[in-house]
Amino acid sequence: MFDRILLATSATEACDHAARVAFNMAERYKSYLNIFHVLGLPTRAYSQDVIDVKTRERVTADEEYVAWVKEEIRGYYERLLEKTGDNYGIEVAVGSPHREILRAARNNDPDLVVMGGSTGHMEDSSYKKTTAGSTFQRVAKAAHCPVLVVTRPAASFWGGFSRIVLGTDFSEASDVAFEYALQLARALDCELFLFHAVDVSAMAMGKVMAQDDIEEKLRVARRRMRSRYVPKMPDFESYTMDAWEGLPYVEITKYAREKQADLIIMAHHAKRDASGQAPMGSTMEQVIVRAACPVLSINRSVKK
Amino acid sequence: MPEGTLCNKQPVDTEEQLKALLADKGGQIYYEEMKHLDVDVEMLRQTLGKSLKSRLRTWLSMCARCGMCADSCFFYRINDRDPKQVPAYKIQSTLGEIVRKNGNVDNAFMHMAMETAWAKCTCCNRCAMYCPHGIDVGVMISYLRGLLYQQGFVPWEMKVGAGMHRVYRAQMDVTPEDFVDTFEWMVEEYEEDYPGLNVPVDKDDADILYTVNAREVKHYPEDLAEAAILFNIAGENWTVPSKGWELTSLAMFAGDWEACRLQVESVYDAMDRLKPKRMVGTECGHAHRATVVEGPYWAGRPDGLPPVESIHYVEWVAEALRTGKLKIDPEKRIKEPVTIQDSCNYIRNHGLRDVTREIMSYIVEPGYFIDMAPNGEHNYCCGGGGGFNGIGLYRPQRNKALITKRDQIMHTGASLVIAPCHNCWDAIRDLEEEYQIGIRWSFLKPLLIDMVVVPEHMKPKE
Amino acid sequence: MHAFLTGPMFYISIAVLVIGLLVRVVRYIRGLDWKLDRVAYRAHRKAGMKGAARSIFKWLVPFGTRSWRVQPVMTVVFFVFHIGVVAVPLFLLAHNMFLEEKLGFSFFTLPALAADILSWGVLAALLILVLRRIALPEVRILTTFHDYFILALTAAPFVTGLICRYDPANYDFWLLIHIAAGELLLILIPFTKLSHVVTFFLSRAQIGMDFGIKRGGMKGKGMAW
Ligand code: HEM
Ligand code: SF4
Ligand code: SF4
Ligand code: SF4
Repeated sequence: MFDRILLATSATEACDHAARVAFNMAERYKSYLNIFHVLGLPTRAYSQDVIDVKTRERVTADEEYVAWVKEEIRGYYERLLEKTGDNYGIEVAVGSPHREILRAARNNDPDLVVMGGSTGHMEDSSYKKTTAGSTFQRVAKAAHCPVLVVTRPAASFWGGFSRIVLGTDFSEASDVAFEYALQLARALDCELFLFHAVDVSAMAMGKVMAQDDIEEKLRVARRRMRSRYVPKMPDFESYTMDAWEGLPYVEITKYAREKQADLIIMAHHAKRDASGQAPMGSTMEQVIVRAACPVLSINRSVKK
Repeated sequence: MPEGTLCNKQPVDTEEQLKALLADKGGQIYYEEMKHLDVDVEMLRQTLGKSLKSRLRTWLSMCARCGMCADSCFFYRINDRDPKQVPAYKIQSTLGEIVRKNGNVDNAFMHMAMETAWAKCTCCNRCAMYCPHGIDVGVMISYLRGLLYQQGFVPWEMKVGAGMHRVYRAQMDVTPEDFVDTFEWMVEEYEEDYPGLNVPVDKDDADILYTVNAREVKHYPEDLAEAAILFNIAGENWTVPSKGWELTSLAMFAGDWEACRLQVESVYDAMDRLKPKRMVGTECGHAHRATVVEGPYWAGRPDGLPPVESIHYVEWVAEALRTGKLKIDPEKRIKEPVTIQDSCNYIRNHGLRDVTREIMSYIVEPGYFIDMAPNGEHNYCCGGGGGFNGIGLYRPQRNKALITKRDQIMHTGASLVIAPCHNCWDAIRDLEEEYQIGIRWSFLKPLLIDMVVVPEHMKPKE
Repeated sequence: MHAFLTGPMFYISIAVLVIGLLVRVVRYIRGLDWKLDRVAYRAHRKAGMKGAARSIFKWLVPFGTRSWRVQPVMTVVFFVFHIGVVAVPLFLLAHNMFLEEKLGFSFFTLPALAADILSWGVLAALLILVLRRIALPEVRILTTFHDYFILALTAAPFVTGLICRYDPANYDFWLLIHIAAGELLLILIPFTKLSHVVTFFLSRAQIGMDFGIKRGGMKGKGMAW
């Protein structure tokens, strides 16, 4: 499942948790780890100068500098690199982070992209304002492979996948996510928790819901889950299905904690709204910053 | 050592030379070598004899030295009214001197001239509007750049840029394959959102031939997708050429007229090959100037026009909005104070002022659009034109030059600046980075994408 | 002496002026090069003419351009100076009588008071132009000896002319000087920056065509001078 992992990293603390998970996965699943770093966008129009994401200094991104950065990264991950042996590579690119990560994902065709919640300083530099949406959002939206995000330290103490929560909203993208979750659960012999949250926030429904309505919705949701997913896992036994009511991101996080999940899988919706943010994106973003385990994002275009 | 290995009178013509030049970090060796570069007086004289004709000669000699152009130049205004920044002084002390001394100038003089030509003038041509005699110092500085380039006294990035055009027919190392591949990739990435999205490459007889800025391909490929989306929504019969897609010309900034010709001919060849009805170029000011306004002359076209009618992106947008090909959802119009940067290269120098105002009338909620003062043909340069943005050596001067635009923007109170020009966009980005005045800036395309009505057949099913 | 200055010398100076300026015009136009100037003069004659006409006309109208409007003092000085400098020599009664006698034609004649006002206006404006050159750093840095020279050259006929008018005692002497100064001016016009009496129109026409043909004239509403 994880022959090739692409770790998109700023090689700073911001990405430490993501890096730890990526290295651990590489070790456990004998993956080739591609450590990928983006130097940033040229600051002077067509010049060679970039603001280094790491040092925030203006530098000339020539071969010499790139070689130096690679060495720096090697040094930064020296101890973690023991886990991979020689089975790794370091790549450095110039450009806007999300675009270059996507480009690398396209060229290297990894099975998984791992990234931190933030690519470091680049996120708060002024140019971000013109490129709406976080780097993660934009990568998750367009990548043809699953994207794993780790932001919290708590999410990175991890000993392999065994309990997977799939949050579904019954969309087409969620179906893709389900397929992937099932495949993963089969391959790694995990327990699968299918979960749906009925959104009762007044905002979502436009009115305060009566308790009867809520319960009816929960019943419908469970029925839908059963009819939609059970036929698809004929010879797979270790699954559980649940529907809770509340604020989706809160419920998913709570549910994952209760089930001691070590992975949450969610669908990333392709359609963007005005800000470049997918509607489900906000739920996903919220889960990411709250979950005690890595979150895996899947969009419709992820190959089976 | 008169001729350096990197800094010399030879243009960059091969990939190896280009790589060697690029390997010289920030042009350190290059500029060191320039200190010893000889001036070829004979060549200078011959060039003057061949190309300095009555228009420029008369300008130089008739200048009343009245100083009426002083205030028109933003360099003069922001540099505490330094008399050395008066347009007439800048040209008289450089080109004027060269002519008076009949080419007998030395290395130190050429260094001074280089700084004047690239760090004290962006060739925005504003002064031409303020001189009673109609003397266009911007045009003369551009001519001076040609002389300096020929003698090897040109900022490193300019030599690199001109070399890129010579080697790749693009301002960056983007090959035709890269271009087509990136465009297709982008369309692929967005076709989920816009079913049916496609990019027709090398289609004959299309209504629109679309050309771009290599930087979009390299660093902002979303721009390509956005262009495709808007053409598709508008139902245009469009295409991109696999060769001859680069609209820009750093060679123009560099004063490398031969490279200018090679570059623009590659685009005209695409026109001849594919026979489109029109060409639409991306949101770039100098690129439009190069390919549409000046290009025909480099290519020796007596009618002064490109082979097919060629328009700037803003003209296409205005037309599409006017004819209803693109419809704006009134709910989604811009409802925040917004202003527009009038790019010298197609506003002052190609008469498109009203076109951009027309676009504003469609996409901005009435009452939210605020013009800068002055504006239109009289607008100041963003501060980074004419290659200034890209030259490391003159970065401090450039940052200072941004102050004019910063203050102009601040006076409008706008929180969003629309900049349908790559150079202006860059300069405004940089001024926000440098001075943090809390603005956002944008090309037209992403704004349009957010507010345009998507026809049913292009909406994702689900 | 008087006979010489009003006789042969007068014809010579007129001839030098006219031929000199004609040569200027011809050489200028012949030196235009559509490829080097990057203006397709021939291909778009109409747009060119329109641009040229606008470019000249707007600048001949006081406050007709933004440049004139944003520098009102300079504008007033410029027009006072130039109206006088053109009108007085051509339309002064005495000059017209002289012209009638020598060349067989004359122009419309200015009332004496108007001529006085214009002449004093020219001198006042000249004074301001000189002071400006000394006082303003942005003009000082541009100023060369030549600029003072042409100012003096222009001032001379006016100063001497006015002396003639107010000092009848030495009339003959000052008249001689006045005629000499005037003829010197006429002769030097083609060879100094004063040749702008024609090159102004040529240069303005050229930039007008440039904007009119190439730089937007065929797109927008014409340059917003
Ligand atoms: C026939 C039409 C003429 C036109 C359209 C014209 C136009 C101009 C212009 C545009 C300027 C430059 C702007 C300025 O310095 O204010 C100028 C300057 C000047 N003109 Fe004329 N001019 C004409 C005739 C004359 C004549 C007949 C004289 C004198 C005999 C003259 C003497 C000058 C002088 C001395 C200056 C320099 C002023 C300075 O020091 O700033 N001009 N003229
Ligand atoms: S305004 Fe024109 S004539 Fe006057 S100094 Fe400037 S360039 Fe020369
Ligand atoms: S072209 Fe623009 S930058 Fe150059 S001297 Fe004139 S006003 Fe200044
Ligand atoms: S970058 Fe824009 S504003 Fe600046 S000179 Fe070029 S067109 Fe003008």
